[in-house]
Formats: sequence, structure tokens, C-alpha cells
Amino acid sequence: MTETKLHLHGKPVEGFVELHEHISPVSTYMKVFGALLVLTALTYAVSYMSLGPASLPVAMIVAVAKASLVCMFFMHLKYDERYHVFIFLSTLIFVGIFFTFTIFDLSSRTKLQEVQGTFFLKDFDREPEAPPPMPVEAHGEGEAAPAEH
Amino acid sequence: MADDKSKHDAEHAEGHGKREPSYLVAQRGLKSWLFTIDHKRLGLMYLGSTLLFFFVGGVAAILFRTELLTPAGDFIPWLLSHLPTALGGTGGDVEAAVAQSATTYNKLFTVHGAVMVFLVIIPAVPGSLGNFLLPLMLGAKDVAFPRLNLLSFWVYTLGACFFLYTLFAGGLDTGWTFYTPYSSTTGTAVVSALFGAFILGFSSILTGLNFMVTIHKMRAPGMTWNRMPLFCWSIYATAVIQVLATPVLAITLLLLVVERTLNIGIFDPAMGGDPVLFQHFFWFYSHPAVYIMILPGFGIISELVAVHSRKHIFGYKAIALSSVAIAIISFIVWGHHMFVSGQSELAAIVFSFLTFAVAVPTAIKVFSWVATLYKGSIQFNTPMLYALMFLFTFSIGGLTGVFLGTLSVDVHLHDTYFVVAHFHYVMMGGTIIAFIGGLHHWWPKMTGRTYSVWQSKWAALLVFIGFNMTFFNQFVLGQQGMPRRYYTYVPQFQQQHMMSTIGSYILFLGLLWIAIYLLASLRRSAAPKEPLPDNTWGGASLEWSTQTPPIEHNFHGQPRVDTDPYNFPQIDRTGEVDHH
Amino acid sequence: MSTDHESPKAHRPEGAHEPHAFFAHHFNTPDQQAGAAKLGMWVFLSTEILMFSGLFLAYFIVRMFYPDMVLAAHEHLNKTAGGINTVVLITSSVTMALAVRAAQVGNTPAIKRNLLLTIMFAGVFMVVKYFEYTAKFEHGMLPGKYYTAFEHGYYIPGNPHIFFAVYFCMTGLHGIHVLVGIGVLTWVYIRASKGHFGPNYYTPVENVGLYWHLVDLIWIFLFPLLYLVR
Repeated sequence: MTETKLHLHGKPVEGFVELHEHISPVSTYMKVFGALLVLTALTYAVSYMSLGPASLPVAMIVAVAKASLVCMFFMHLKYDERYHVFIFLSTLIFVGIFFTFTIFDLSSRTKLQEVQGTFFLKDFDREPEAPPPMPVEAHGEGEAAPAEH
Repeated sequence: MADDKSKHDAEHAEGHGKREPSYLVAQRGLKSWLFTIDHKRLGLMYLGSTLLFFFVGGVAAILFRTELLTPAGDFIPWLLSHLPTALGGTGGDVEAAVAQSATTYNKLFTVHGAVMVFLVIIPAVPGSLGNFLLPLMLGAKDVAFPRLNLLSFWVYTLGACFFLYTLFAGGLDTGWTFYTPYSSTTGTAVVSALFGAFILGFSSILTGLNFMVTIHKMRAPGMTWNRMPLFCWSIYATAVIQVLATPVLAITLLLLVVERTLNIGIFDPAMGGDPVLFQHFFWFYSHPAVYIMILPGFGIISELVAVHSRKHIFGYKAIALSSVAIAIISFIVWGHHMFVSGQSELAAIVFSFLTFAVAVPTAIKVFSWVATLYKGSIQFNTPMLYALMFLFTFSIGGLTGVFLGTLSVDVHLHDTYFVVAHFHYVMMGGTIIAFIGGLHHWWPKMTGRTYSVWQSKWAALLVFIGFNMTFFNQFVLGQQGMPRRYYTYVPQFQQQHMMSTIGSYILFLGLLWIAIYLLASLRRSAAPKEPLPDNTWGGASLEWSTQTPPIEHNFHGQPRVDTDPYNFPQIDRTGEVDHH
Repeated sequence: MSTDHESPKAHRPEGAHEPHAFFAHHFNTPDQQAGAAKLGMWVFLSTEILMFSGLFLAYFIVRMFYPDMVLAAHEHLNKTAGGINTVVLITSSVTMALAVRAAQVGNTPAIKRNLLLTIMFAGVFMVVKYFEYTAKFEHGMLPGKYYTAFEHGYYIPGNPHIFFAVYFCMTGLHGIHVLVGIGVLTWVYIRASKGHFGPNYYTPVENVGLYWHLVDLIWIFLFPLLYLVR
């Protein structure tokens, strides 16, 4: 990268360096590729273990790890202008705001329902009815899926 | 102004010696306008189209205000029975007209709301003044992506076409908010309106993206962040919201389209979905969108107040950063639109508390403007009249917003005329007044023409009187319990409704007058004999340093900045602008 | 404020790159142009993330409302097909990154080769997706009122039509992004064939690359959430 400087009245002008380019060696890409494949295999394998409530966090941690690898190396965020990292992370913060408040409201709403005696249809469906006697056939694509979860 | 006088004079002489053709005449023909990538021409095209839709929305408002003159529903049936069927009337069939009148009223206020929100207020200031001024103020030749800018305009036009189609395909009666489950079951042309809003959202995103990058990358040498005119800061804050919030609107509308067409059931309680979820989705966009509407207005007022009181703006950094603060806080308060729609009490309390936080940066702005006026050499030019009007009406609008953000008070006031009055004081009394003021401020720069001063001042007075007469009553009406969106009402409210309607006529006349004298100034015969001076008001930001109207590439050379845009030259006693 | 009346070339500070053939008139330096394009792309990516976030939120809400139904319904998605598609997309991301690298070092044949591979993998992804969708259609596992899986002998308790609505919205929107990706990748491929790209100018390759990585990123989250988690 060339050191580009613009001077005005003898003082360097801020923010004139525009481009941060970084050429990663092919070996870096290959290492990241390998790591991504391993993580994919891991998350796939873990899904067959019965982790119960831990399965969502585990899957999300693996996904975040994969996503960070892609961001840092494939999208060059590791070497890029800090401002691009800032944009990316602040986007995630706003997604977080969106999720937090909405889920917070929807999960704390039951109180109102009890007081008012109102209900949502979904509360009836919470308790699954007994399955009809119809035998569940194997459906061709999800055979490996165990019946219990 | 650090340059010495001789150099300045030399430049001045040179500027007059060889006047380049302005951007208006640099290229000719319809094609050179329709496919232009010049931000100034695009600004004018946005200006024309938003004002056109402002007229459409205004006519709808006048129609339903006329209906509200009397407690009984009589005007709309009369209107419908006298309209030919081709225009949506019943062609003399009075009974059918009466049967349709309630729906027609719903359609009218929906047209008014949807057109004003999606086609006027959101694109008006960024699209027209923002496009025209941003590169000029930054000292750039154009926005960062000129072709994207053109695309953005045509996407806007496409979205507008969808809205027009909606009007002729049975109208829309959901209100501009498209609340489910009504919007997923009603028989009107909801899908085309949804697509219209979806497409307009893209236009908004592209504009915001373009402006953000322009401000980051296109500033002239020496134009640091703290030397940007405050208008640019407010456009920047607006762009941040446009970019972060509008995608959520896009996905919301898309989900509603599939909900309507495929009955996926995600917003439908009968199918196990949740209608309040739609409101969360919608207001996550639409509350920040309220600030998309008002922030550019703030920017205009910062410029007007400083220039016309010949005084350095008070609290530059406070105003600049409060714009960004408003942009961020706007994302955590959306629940205050849902206090009575089945949101959990706990969430409502949190949202109500957070809502008050918005008042802080807003108040910082208002106080800074008032402090700028203090001991300034205030000149009551037409733009300044609008700026003062803004301070008055916006303060009312802003403070009544605090009433509505208070949880217990909102339970009484929600869905009444109090809410209507509140957001008209903010949107109309805030954004539109600022927009008209900005239009008067930069009109000479944009067009190279001057408007009639006495007419503009009288029209401003009409607008002020008409506006307050229309909406101030409505605070009282709402507090007394008059619900919004009703086309008949109990007779005890008639006096106030009548006053409101008469006020709306005055407002309409005032706005029409503005349109007339501004259009009149564009006539060939109204062209000034000598080109206008570059600097109409003695402003110190870069747009005043170039020719009026600007040349195609904005500046004769690369502008360099070494001072901030509020260091005004002094004024001598004759009122003429002295350059030093 | 002052302006200098020199030739446009003088606005370029010393040491800046020489302008390339695609240098736009309103920028001062090619670096400024490239920086603007890249910043614009990142801002665009952030809008994409927020757009998908709505669907992710819908997924989490449905999961919160009907945990048992979601767990039962997701067993009917084909894990192996999803896994294959994950590997395909990751591989296409690597070839995309290599294409950008090839542009950075100015190796046009390598740009073309890697772009072609990326397009091919994107095609494979869509083909697998096609078979998955066909199977769902055949089994009546469709969104909303079209949900008829019970007629085909599948019983899922609760409101599985909502799960499949979310499934089709998420994978459908993602699929549209893949199709758009194939389009822009082809465009970049054509430009690469014309020899437009080199170390001085590779912005389109880089930006399309960023877009493509984002499509990959979204799939990285879609895959475990829809197919794997229980």
C-alpha cells in the first residue's frame, strides 16, 4: 500500500488514506477451509447426540466460530479498515436490540393473560394431542432421524 | 476566512469574467433530465415528485376534513353520488353512495397517511435538498455513487406507480400501518400497496447508503467531521437510520405479502400466529422512520437559524452528536406505539422509560437553536420566519410526545385526536415547515431565480395560522375523547371540528400560494436581468462559494476548507454583506 | 474557503495510484473510489443482515411458542442434503476468496477459473435445494393453508404449517440471494474475461466476493437452526 498523504497548510489532512489492501497467502485460505469443514462435521455429528437444552447454544457457538472465520479471513475484516469492522459489529448490536426487546415482550406477556383471562390459541396447542393411530411411515429423506428427541 | 482579500477579489473577478453554463442548461432535452446522474438535477426531480404527491395527499386531507365539518356523514355520500363511476363514484346512486361512505373515508385517510409518509416526508428532504446540497456542502463533485442515485430515483418512481395503481385498484383502507389481522383479510388492494412501500424502502436504503459513503469518502480536503455543516450531520444520522431500519420494513412487508397470499399464519392468531409480532416488526422500522422524517428538518433549521441570525451556531458538537444520539435511541423505543395492543406490561414500562431518553438530545437541539438566536443579528427573511415557526410548532409537537410516552396518560390518549395533533405538529409543523423554509433558503441557489418577498411572507403567515388552527384544537378534542379515524361524531365536538376544517382550508390556500409564486418565479419572463449573486444570504458553507445556480461539476476547482461553516462575515449597517 | 484553479490531475495527492480505465470523474484518486465502493458494500451487507434478522427472529419466536412442534417438524428436513449444501457453499466461498486473491495479484486465468468454480458450486447448491423442495412439495409440507402433510401420512403435532412457512421464507429468500449471486458472478466473470481486473482495479471482484461470503454466512446459521438443532 502506498503512503498517501495530503497536506493542507502544512498539516496532513485526516482520513485521506482510503484503501487497506492485504493479500493473504493461499495457505491461509486452505487452513481456514479445513477449519470450516471440521466445524461443519462437528456440528453435524453433535446433532446426533441428545444434548437436550444445550443443543441450541452448542450449535450457535459452532456457527459463530465458523462465521467469524469467514468474516476475518475471507472477508478480510482482520486486515480491513477498522470502520468496516465497526459497521459489521454495530449491525449485530442492532439485530440484538431487535431480538432482545421483541422476545422480552413476547415471553413476558403471560402475566397479562392470566389477569385478563385472555389466551392465545398457541397455549392450547402446547400440549400435543395423542397421535392418531395412523402408522408413521418412513418418509424417504429423514430416515436416520430418531423418533425421540 | 483565512485567505487574504486580494486573492479573494481576484477570484471573484475571475468568477464573473467567465461564467460557465449552470447545471440547468449544461445539457438540454428531456433525456438529459430523465437519465441524469447529476445530483443537483436528481434533487430537482425529487423535489418535483415529492411536491406533486404532497398535493395528492393534501387533497385527500381536504376531502376528509370537509366530511368532518358536520357530525353526520354527508359530504362523502354527496361526493360519491355526484362522481361518475369511472372515478370511483356511484353515478347518482345515492343509496350505494351512503353504503360506501365509511369505507371511502377509511380509504381517504389511508391515502393521506400512506402517501404523506412513504412518498412525501421520508424522501422529501433527503431526496431533494439532501441530494442537491450534500455534495455542494462537502465540496465534492457528486455523491459517491451517481448512478445508484439515479437508480434510487427510478425505484422511487416505480414504488410511486404501485401506490397510484393501488388508488385505482380499489384503494387501501388499512391505515398506513398495515396492522394485521385486518390487512391480511380486507378486500382492498393491500398487496400492491405493500409492494409499493417495499420498493420505496429500497429507494430509501439506496439513498441512505449513498449519502453515508458520500459523507465518509467525498469530503473536500480540510473538511473534517467537525467542519461539516450541521445539515450534513443530520443527513448522516438519517442515513444511518435508513440503512439500519428499512431492511426490517422490507422483510415485514414481504412476510405480510406471503401472509396474505399464502396464509402462512405467522401473524394470524387463528392459525397460531401472533398479530402483535407484526407490530413489533413494523415499529422496529417505523419508529426510527419517524426520525428519518424529522432529522433532516433539524439539519435545515440549524442552517437557517445560524445564517439568518448572523451568529456562529451555539453548541456545534452538541447539535451534531445529538443527531447521532437520536438516531441510536430511536431504535430502542418502538414499544411505545404498542402500549395498548397487548404488549406485556413489563415491556411497556421499559419502553416508556426509554422513550423519555429521546427528549434529551431533542431538547439539546432546541436549546442550542434558541441560544444561537440570543444576541444574534436576526434578519426576518422568509426562511427565518419558517425557522422561528418551526421552533414554536416543533416544541409543542415534541413536548406532547412526552405526554404520549407516559404509560398511564397514553392509555387515555391513545387513538384519539391528541395523537393526530401530536404527530402533525412534529411531521407537518416540524419537517414540512423546515422543508418549506429550506426551500425558500436555497431556492435562489437551486434555480437562479428569486421569489416575491412580500408574497412569501404573507403566505408564511397563512400557513402558520392555518396550521395551528387545524391542529391545536385537536389536542383538546382528543383529550375530550374524540377518537381518530371516525367519520361521524357526536354533535358536541362540531365547533372544534369546524374550526379545524376551516384551518385546514387556510393551510391549503397558504401552501397553494407558495406553490404559485415559486412556480411563477420559474417563468421565462421572471428571469433576473443579471445573474444572481453567488451568496444570497451571506452563508459561509461551501454551497454559497460556487456560482448560482451551480455549474455542472459544482466547483471551478477543488475547494479546500480551513474553517468551520458558521464563521459569518460581519454585516455593515446598510445590510449589505461584507466579505470581511 | 478557497479553490485552486488547476488541472484536475493536480487534485490527486502525490503518491496516489495512477488512474485506471474505470476511474470515475468525480473522485480524486482511485483509492478514494475503491474505498467508497467497499464502504458502500459493507453498508449494503449490513442492510442484508438486518433484513434476514427479521426472519431469524420469526424463527426464534415460533420456536419459543411451539418448542415441541419445531423439534418434531425439523426432523422432517433432510440433514444430509443440508450438510452437503453447507460444504458446497463453504467450498464456493473459498474459491471466491481465491478469485479475489487472483485479482489482487493480477492473474486473470486464475480469476476466471475460480469464478467459474464458484458459479458451479452455486449451481450445485440450487440443484440440491431443488430436490429438497420437490420432496417437501410431494409430502405436502408446505406453508400455511397449503400444509397437507397429514394427507401423506405424516403427523406432526401442533402447528407445523408455521414452521414450514418460516422454513420456506428463510431458505427461499436465501435461495433468491444465491440466484442473484450467480447473476453477479457471471457478470464479473464476463468482465474478467475482458481483462478488466488487475492489481490496480479489482473492486467489483472484491465486492461480489463480500456479497457471496455473506450468502455463505447466512447459510452457516440457517443450517444448524433449521436442520440440526433439537
